[in-house]
Amino acid sequence: MKVFVSALLFATVAAVGVAMFLNSIQEPSSVAFTTSGARVGDPGHNLIGPS
Amino acid sequence: MPSSLSNLRVICAAVVLLLTFTHPAAAQLSFKPTAEAVQEDKLLNALKEGDKITGRISIPDKMASSLIQPAGRDWRDFHRSKLPIIGGVAILGMLALLAVFLMVRGRIRIHKGFSGKTILRFASFERFTHWLTASCFIILALSGMNVSFGRTLILPLLGAEAFSAISAYAKLAHNYLAFPFMLGLVIMFLIWVKDNIPGKIDLEWIKQGGGILSAGKHPPAKRFNAGQKGIFWIVIIGGTLMSVSGWFLLFPYLPGNVTVLQIWTVIHAVVAMLFIAAMLAHIYIGSIGMEGAFDAMGTGEVDLNWAKEHHSLWVEQEQTKAGAPSDNTPRAVPAE
Repeated sequence: MKVFVSALLFATVAAVGVAMFLNSIQEPSSVAFTTSGARVGDPGHNLIGPS
Repeated sequence: MPSSLSNLRVICAAVVLLLTFTHPAAAQLSFKPTAEAVQEDKLLNALKEGDKITGRISIPDKMASSLIQPAGRDWRDFHRSKLPIIGGVAILGMLALLAVFLMVRGRIRIHKGFSGKTILRFASFERFTHWLTASCFIILALSGMNVSFGRTLILPLLGAEAFSAISAYAKLAHNYLAFPFMLGLVIMFLIWVKDNIPGKIDLEWIKQGGGILSAGKHPPAKRFNAGQKGIFWIVIIGGTLMSVSGWFLLFPYLPGNVTVLQIWTVIHAVVAMLFIAAMLAHIYIGSIGMEGAFDAMGTGEVDLNWAKEHHSLWVEQEQTKAGAPSDNTPRAVPAE
């Protein structure tokens, strides 16, 4: 049981860690695709979170 | 000069009036928006596979320049019509097969009964790796099936609001639990590959149907028998395909264009259905299908009689290593 619970905890911590890491290195599309010639408006939220 | 210009205007007006009233059909043909819509449909049908209509864009997202891509309709049709059939046949078919097998064969019992002695089959780290991968797989499978079938099966039951909230969290879990799943897959490969290389003994095991078709018949096997080796390679190959295709779905700008991305989504979806079906068989035989099997991943220790029946060569090897005689007594630990 200890092994099983440890595996679940590790999976949760790893998933949260990856989520934080990816969110820290990625930009939202409205920022990433805005250039000096084109401004992309804030697309807001959709089913999978901030666009 | 002004009078000649005025005459020219009059003549032009007369010609226009003449053309308008004598050829009304021609005048209508030059402006018919509804007819254009029909032609657009013809245009879409005329576009061959791989063709696309693109526009000019000024943002760095090159994929945004694709305006119309007819292959996308095939992709959408695949997800709406073919994928449910593949998934239904694979998953429901496997469940039906297992139910029939359980009814016909019943639970596979330990032929000689429990010995009261146990032998260590999987160490803590092996079980940790198994449960890490398995728990992620279960969430990935459920959330993935929600993506494919949720709108048809769950939305009518829960309503739009609850379904969208659950789907949003399921999608987040799917995205991020993919990473510990991939880690588990790599560790699993490293720690078990040496025991899962197919050999001649596996052919004999397969010839005898693994001994699971008739009671009391147990072909010899090492640490993993041919069935378990099959599951191992399904997990490794299937998991690798899921990981690579999933990576492209997570980072959709890596494939370079929408067509390649669509191919990866099809691979992801089809392999997922087959993978889930195969894992149902694995879960069945590791739990209700076979007496004593769950202990291997539960406590890590299995009954000695179970081990001798299903992995006779492995038991001999372990007992030789421990310096114990190969009869029923030895290094085995009493069951609690």
